Amino acid sequence: MNVRWLFPVLFIVFAAAPALLAHHSFSAEYDATKPIQVTGVVTKVEWQNPHIWFFVDVKDESGKVTNWGFSGGAPGQLMRRGINKDVIQPGMTIMVDGFLAKDGSHNGSGGKVTFPDGRSVFTASAEDKLPGK
Amino acid sequence: MIMKISKYAALAGALSGIVFASAALLAQQSKFPPRTPDGKPDLSGIYQWPKTDEGEKCKCSATIFDRNKFPPFKPGGEAFYEPRTGDPRHDEPRDFCLPAGFPSGMLSANAVRFIQNKNFLVMAHEFQAMTRLIPLDGRPHRKGIEPSFYGDPVGHWEGDTLVVETTNFKRWSLDDYFYTNPKEYRMHSDALRTIERISWKDPKTLSYKLTIDDPKIFTAAWSQDFTMTPHPDWEQMGIFEYVCEENNRCPGGKCGK
Repeated sequence: MNVRWLFPVLFIVFAAAPALLAHHSFSAEYDATKPIQVTGVVTKVEWQNPHIWFFVDVKDESGKVTNWGFSGGAPGQLMRRGINKDVIQPGMTIMVDGFLAKDGSHNGSGGKVTFPDGRSVFTASAEDKLPGK
Repeated sequence: MIMKISKYAALAGALSGIVFASAALLAQQSKFPPRTPDGKPDLSGIYQWPKTDEGEKCKCSATIFDRNKFPPFKPGGEAFYEPRTGDPRHDEPRDFCLPAGFPSGMLSANAVRFIQNKNFLVMAHEFQAMTRLIPLDGRPHRKGIEPSFYGDPVGHWEGDTLVVETTNFKRWSLDDYFYTNPKEYRMHSDALRTIERISWKDPKTLSYKLTIDDPKIFTAAWSQDFTMTPHPDWEQMGIFEYVCEENNRCPGGKCGK
């Protein structure tokens, strides 16, 4: 089993393309030079406009838990791609690829969600862009 | 003998199948374009937003105009590329749920439904719940009203093409170019006049030609051709509600929980 699933940690991944949003430009809220990848347990999902948000409890190496918030695309855009609100549910363990918010908070854009079985969903707005591609 | 008859029967069956298929195809083609009871092309349906293969791609999911279409600026037209100021209320008005406006909102990456009758075409765009009510009954533009983000449209038919002229805009971003170049807008002026020419190209394609006439910016009007793809597979799903204020967590880059 991948150790990252046992000990969820925050770490930086190398230059990945920003997952871009529709309602505002990515640069307004997120820092494209600060990609992040976190693994943790989903605590809440807000399937609302202008962007969905999902929250993840991430435990660091010392055992301290931080609740991170991630935004994705608009619900309509995601549902038209066959992604509905059931795809991410509280209690699930997920890995999120995204970018840090500019304001230094524990928030980020969450363009890609990967599940423990290796499946992943692209949760951002743009239909043809994936983080890292 | 029995085998021979079976062969002939099979051949006859195959031929009749071909004849029926051809007749069905002809019948389908003869119904193109679909028409309303008053004989006008029926544009009603649910579509993907206007797209094009020409020009620069937006660093976002929307469509932007091809800069190669732009004619030279008039003196003062450089204001088209208004620089960012660092103030998010100026630089990212949508971040505060202000409207995209037309034509920018029309080119946004969401579904749009057209509903047509004799007197109106309604364009109901999912993004920001943008709704354009376009009179087709020959009335002139409204007079004495304030300029707006979406302007004042009126439409008429030229043969099988619907022509929509929109005027009376307030100055606003022409498209989503600012996603691609975060230092500059493309800002149209309050003299903007747009012409949309909409017609069926084939049963799976709507032609959508957009003309930009902004005499405070450009020395001439210019046009770009787009296509819109009908999505009958989205009929059941329909257009979703889009209330920007519902959960706009990061206005101006200030996220909260």
